[in-house]
Amino acid sequence: MEFSQLVQNLLNGLAIGSVYAIFALGYTLVFSILGIINFAHGAVFTLGAYFTYTLVVGEFGNNGLLKGVNLFPNGSPLSGEPLTFALATLLGAVGAGLVAVLIERLAFRPMRSRGADPLLALVSSLGVALVIVNLIQLLVGAEIYNFPADAYGDTPPALSFTMGDKVVIIRTVQVIIFAVSLVMLAVLGYVIGRTKIGKALRAVAENPGTASLLGISVDRFIVITFFLSGFVGGLAGTLVGTAFGVAGPYFGVTYGLKGLAVIVLGGLGSIPGAVLGGLVIGLAEAFVPADYSAYKDAVAFALLFAILLVRPQGLLGRSAIQKV
Amino acid sequence: MADFLQTYGFLIATMLQAGLLGLSLYFPLQAGQLSLASPGFYALGGYVAAIMLTNPAFADLRDALGNGVFPLTWLAGAVLGGLLGVVVGVPALRLRGIYLALATIAFVEILRVVALNLTLTGGAVGIFGIPQAFGFQDRWQYIFLFGPLLALTLLFARQLERSRVGRALRAIREDELAADAMGVPPTQYKVLAFVIGAALAGLVGAMSAPFLNTWNAKQGTFDASITILAAVLIGGSRNIWGPVVGGALLAAVPEVLRFLADWRLVINGLVLVVASLYLPQGIVGALSRLTRPRPPQRPPVQGPPVSVAEVKP
Repeated sequence: MEFSQLVQNLLNGLAIGSVYAIFALGYTLVFSILGIINFAHGAVFTLGAYFTYTLVVGEFGNNGLLKGVNLFPNGSPLSGEPLTFALATLLGAVGAGLVAVLIERLAFRPMRSRGADPLLALVSSLGVALVIVNLIQLLVGAEIYNFPADAYGDTPPALSFTMGDKVVIIRTVQVIIFAVSLVMLAVLGYVIGRTKIGKALRAVAENPGTASLLGISVDRFIVITFFLSGFVGGLAGTLVGTAFGVAGPYFGVTYGLKGLAVIVLGGLGSIPGAVLGGLVIGLAEAFVPADYSAYKDAVAFALLFAILLVRPQGLLGRSAIQKV
Repeated sequence: MADFLQTYGFLIATMLQAGLLGLSLYFPLQAGQLSLASPGFYALGGYVAAIMLTNPAFADLRDALGNGVFPLTWLAGAVLGGLLGVVVGVPALRLRGIYLALATIAFVEILRVVALNLTLTGGAVGIFGIPQAFGFQDRWQYIFLFGPLLALTLLFARQLERSRVGRALRAIREDELAADAMGVPPTQYKVLAFVIGAALAGLVGAMSAPFLNTWNAKQGTFDASITILAAVLIGGSRNIWGPVVGGALLAAVPEVLRFLADWRLVINGLVLVVASLYLPQGIVGALSRLTRPRPPQRPPVQGPPVSVAEVKP
């Protein structure tokens, strides 16, 4: 492989890997608090992209029950300028966060209050995912939505530089994805590591019983966790949607599964682990030779399977304590 | 009767088939192993049968055996499913709980991507024009295959539960460390239960390839893993009838809800949510609690309570 190709793959891998990382953070946050995987996280990812799209464009295409509905007959108040697109992205992520809170309320809390088998929460969260995905299909149809090309205003279409005799191209979208992901990771890291909320979150994750004895409202922090999880999941959805288009209601399914590979690779419940796992899988996929690109989707799972056999607790995970 | 079978026979066959797949996940679950690998073995069995029944390389074999080729495909599906079960099970069963579930999801996904890209498996299109088993004229006739297989599997499962092996599996499910200390080797029994499930899934796949007429990578997906798991949990995971009832019910729900047209998949999701909320023991669990007299309350175990915090280092 030529050096320029290496650099190109590295940059592509970092961009997609950083999205995997922030998406997977949503899984890992919930897992660290409840010890359960929220299988509706992929659906939240999809919703984030749809919310942002709706805020920017406000039109619902040619399929589904909402076809022809135009939310903003006088043009979307948010479209066009880069700043307002960023605002729409933010609002879309907030919307996804609120949906995640709703999922907690409908699929997780009733289970918890009954002391039911955690596996059942897995099934009910899958039920919620089915409902969301099929509602999207019903309402706005199965078609692909592309964000307007000027979503980022008049930023240059690509950064490029020559290396030897080859040109290395970095799409603006990739730079933005990488930057937003970094900011998001830094903010989350700060919130969880340094603030009082983060301290309480960690206490709940460590031991809900003791935390509630210490006067921490466990239910409230579970809600906060789900909101954060949905927020980063929805944000990842918009970022991927702007890069590749929103590929219909099942947009989030592949990412949902890959996110699982990411968090297991990094270590279930570990935040730095999710970041490392995301980058490793993003890079590994970017380096799959073009001849074998059909097998790209298997890379994440092969890595997952391999790491489970060698180091079941993941790269950065603490070894699991057997509660007998 | 003939009218009834014409109308509902296909649905009944599908329900029986779903019950069998539920049971394939039930065997490892009996040893406390949450495996989502069944669709992988099911897909493999189907591919084996589809290839044996359509590939020109097997033309001589088909001519020589006539209808005998169908039982041969079942055998091949079951054996290869079981063998792959050993290959996957031995390393994967070192994992527990959610880790095993995720590893088996990864296995299913890898298998799906490979099937999607091989020429032998027909790539994304898959294999089509698979001949009907024994020249069946109607799809409902597969009841004659799935029905007896289900009855045999249930009988086998019941005998297994009552045997020494069944007791060992139950001991491992309840407390692996204690079982180990009592001289029950957990690894061997866990692999055994896993392989039984894998062979059953492979066999059902081999029967299903002619039933569905086409076979492609969609047969073994994450969705399928989840549908089967949901079936087992909703039916009840502690009784052999649970997976059968759950599988049959979940297979029937989309058909019964057909009048809801586009809304049926949404309702399907709601059914999963409501069922897991209100039937935590599964349908069979809830029924047996209703019909059976409540066992006398055991006195609470004496001794100081052990908190989780103390167990952690």
